[in-house]
Amino acid sequence: MKLEGTNTLPAPIETVWKMLNDPEALRRCTPGLHELKELEPDRYEATLTIGIAAVRGSYKGTLSITDKQAPSHYKLLLEGSGGSGFMKGEGIVDLEAQGENTVLKWVGDMQIGGIIAGVGQRMLGGVGKMLIGQFFKCLEQQLTRSP
Amino acid sequence: MSTRYVGAPVPRNEDPSLLTGRGLFVDDVHLPAMAHAAVLRSPHAHARIRRVDAGRARTAPGVVAVLTHPDLGALGGPLPRLIPHPALLHHKTQSALAGDTVRFVGEPVAFVVAESRYLAEDACDLIEVEYDPLPVAASLEAAAAPDAPRVHADMDSNVCAHYTQRVGNVEQAFAMASHRVRERFRIDRGAACPLETRGVVAAWDARARRLDVWDSTQAPIPIRNGLAAMFGLAEQNVRVVAPDVGGGFGSKVMMFYPEEILVPLAAMRLGRPVKWIEDRREHFVATNQEREQIHDAEIALDAEGRILGVRTVFLYDAGAYIPYGIIVPIVASTTLPGPYRIPNYHCEFRAVFTNKTTVSPYRGAGRPHGVFVMERLLDRAARELGLDRADVRRRNFIQPDEFPYEVGLIYQDNAPLRYDSGNYPACFERALDRIGYAGWPAAQAAARARGRWLGCGIACYVEGTGIGPYEGARVTVEPSGRVFIATGVGTQGQGHMTSLAQIAADVLGVPPQNITVHTGDTALFGWGTGTFASRAATVAGNAVALAAQAVAAKARLVAASLLEAPPEEIELGEGTAFVRGVPGRSVTLGELARAANPLRFTMPKEWEGPGLEAARYFAPSQGAFSNGVHACIVAVDVETGLLRVERYVVVHDCGRVINPVILDGQIQGGVAQGLGGAFWEKLAYDDEAQPLSTTFMDYLLPTAVEVPPLEIEHVETPSPLNSLGVKGAGEAGVIPVPAVIVQAVEDALAPLGIHITEAPLSPSRLRQLIVEARRDR
Repeated sequence: MKLEGTNTLPAPIETVWKMLNDPEALRRCTPGLHELKELEPDRYEATLTIGIAAVRGSYKGTLSITDKQAPSHYKLLLEGSGGSGFMKGEGIVDLEAQGENTVLKWVGDMQIGGIIAGVGQRMLGGVGKMLIGQFFKCLEQQLTRSP
Repeated sequence: MSTRYVGAPVPRNEDPSLLTGRGLFVDDVHLPAMAHAAVLRSPHAHARIRRVDAGRARTAPGVVAVLTHPDLGALGGPLPRLIPHPALLHHKTQSALAGDTVRFVGEPVAFVVAESRYLAEDACDLIEVEYDPLPVAASLEAAAAPDAPRVHADMDSNVCAHYTQRVGNVEQAFAMASHRVRERFRIDRGAACPLETRGVVAAWDARARRLDVWDSTQAPIPIRNGLAAMFGLAEQNVRVVAPDVGGGFGSKVMMFYPEEILVPLAAMRLGRPVKWIEDRREHFVATNQEREQIHDAEIALDAEGRILGVRTVFLYDAGAYIPYGIIVPIVASTTLPGPYRIPNYHCEFRAVFTNKTTVSPYRGAGRPHGVFVMERLLDRAARELGLDRADVRRRNFIQPDEFPYEVGLIYQDNAPLRYDSGNYPACFERALDRIGYAGWPAAQAAARARGRWLGCGIACYVEGTGIGPYEGARVTVEPSGRVFIATGVGTQGQGHMTSLAQIAADVLGVPPQNITVHTGDTALFGWGTGTFASRAATVAGNAVALAAQAVAAKARLVAASLLEAPPEEIELGEGTAFVRGVPGRSVTLGELARAANPLRFTMPKEWEGPGLEAARYFAPSQGAFSNGVHACIVAVDVETGLLRVERYVVVHDCGRVINPVILDGQIQGGVAQGLGGAFWEKLAYDDEAQPLSTTFMDYLLPTAVEVPPLEIEHVETPSPLNSLGVKGAGEAGVIPVPAVIVQAVEDALAPLGIHITEAPLSPSRLRQLIVEARRDR
């Protein structure tokens, strides 16, 4: 399941970059994320709860940031598994300064397996877009709120 | 033998208990102190198992046992291989619980037993399994490629069998032919979806060393024999009961599914009964599936439309393992010739492993594929030659005077494929008459003028039924006068309690209502192979006839001494034995049963033992071949892609009909399943072999709205292979449905020039074909 999109965030590129690397911001803005425990720099243990179609499940796994090219590029990897199956997501984020704003381009690929795939695959595209939309909306709010 | 009951629409003996909720299905078995099991299944289509940690599950509330692969000991090896074949070089079977690798989504990894199913399911969530995902062989075509990811690491490719059968000289036939048509055909995956999913209950009596198992299976006796061997028990100390079974359709004839070993094993280890009932979502991954094949087929004809040769080279998706061997592709390739004279024929298949649920026969078991390919080729040929599709078929039928007809192939029972009897042209013409084929062009034109897209389809098939090796039955008359039949074939709703009773009723002269049939209980009858391949009525039915005849002979002997008349003058009827011509001199069967079991004095030597009881076996040398023709009229909604079946005609010949109401029910149910496989039901998998249709929300079973009332007619060409003259009918309904529906849809959409080479269709797929065709015009 491949998804992509572009968002314009109301902050300079350095601010956006900092926020995208801030575990607290990631924790606050990733929908359903309960816990984000740093295992080593750029590698976190994550617990999240997500509902896809009729299957609401908890997943435990890791979130890691790789391919860092500050302040404009990184790759986000999320892997988790739980009673209702597993999920594996990969997001490539590119930032570009545009005056006082920053244009954020992202490409995501998500794979799910087990019960969530059998029951929820049809919903995955819609749910994925909604969750990613929530994520950026939250980032935007954080950025406008910060002094 | 008089035939008062065979052939009559006798009401079913089993219906009162089933219709009033007094049936006994596996889930109705409740035993004291029974524990409940749940299975942890792989979410990956292909992965190495790095670690399984069941520590937290073992200490979870209510959990009494957790089994993982190392806990199985000697039982952890590959499960039994059924039906070997010289061409099957890699007869891979799974383990009851996966060891180091999982090869399909749904493969069992751990087995949890707890005080309730809820607690067992909760504990499954606590088991930590670390998987290393491996590359996946998802689609059949990709898996067959030499560089595909290997489902089994010790193989050079995913091809586990390559088998060819030939008749005549196909190359020469194609070289000589004036017309050749070539096409690629795809049939996709489907599931049997019995209303009752699988289920097993086991109880162990350690003092008696006795194992009791209730199993929703089509083959209780092989299950008993296998369990006895695996657990080192005497066969007579293992009792397997297949009680009422809510449908099987082939999917319940495995020996073994993992749970059929895990449940008894847990019961023996724990010393308490254990129950496992498959839920519907599990059923979509853990019960065998069928149907995926890709055929590259061609046909050669002369200028008059006579078939010179047919060739098919196809791929067969075996799924992750191939416990049942290559029966399905053999049946597909031997069903393809159908009712037609094909002097030169080449069929060749490769069986291919994929990371999907294992495949084993499902009602039809390759027959729908063979018929789809053959009928599609004939439709194409008719169009290329400018002939009427009915005429092409007429010119190629095997004629009634050509039986027995040697097709020249080896059939699934390893015997030569020899049609015993039939009248193919007669069935065909009756079907054409009934559907109104002669007036069809005018009717269709009138409908088109009103803006309705109607199409007519007609398809023929020959169905191999009633194969060996054998079945048996024991017939007993008790002193009450009631007759009991015990047989090894289980029943899954086919009406055996009635049809087998009808056969004995005519021999013994008692009404079928006075006969109780016991099936599927190894304690009552311990010899047999199972219910599959449309064989119960033919093989068990003839065993019942033989046993009943032996009991009747004994009854005459005993009656002769009581009535002081020679045995030749004794007749049976109305539950009595009487002297011919003197009905007043009679004795009831119950009185005879009592007299045949004396408590004192002596017993005549010629009685050969006490009681009115006999067991007999029937072992056919080959199968009996039924045939039929289906014709239908469909209406296509070209805007939505929806299909409405307006009329559906079945003309069917399964030899002598035992019970026309039961037979019509078999055909009605088969057509319903066939419509599913033609238009509604499709098991979808994504590129990583994740199953996407694991609920009835996504896997569409046809309902009463989609299934039309059928118009059924019977032609009776008795089989010369058995004294009852019967042939099987279990799969007839399902076999030609994809072929006939697709042909009708094509006919309806003829103005758009749509050409269909796949089944099942679906509303969205059909709409896509329509949109493409309109765009290209």
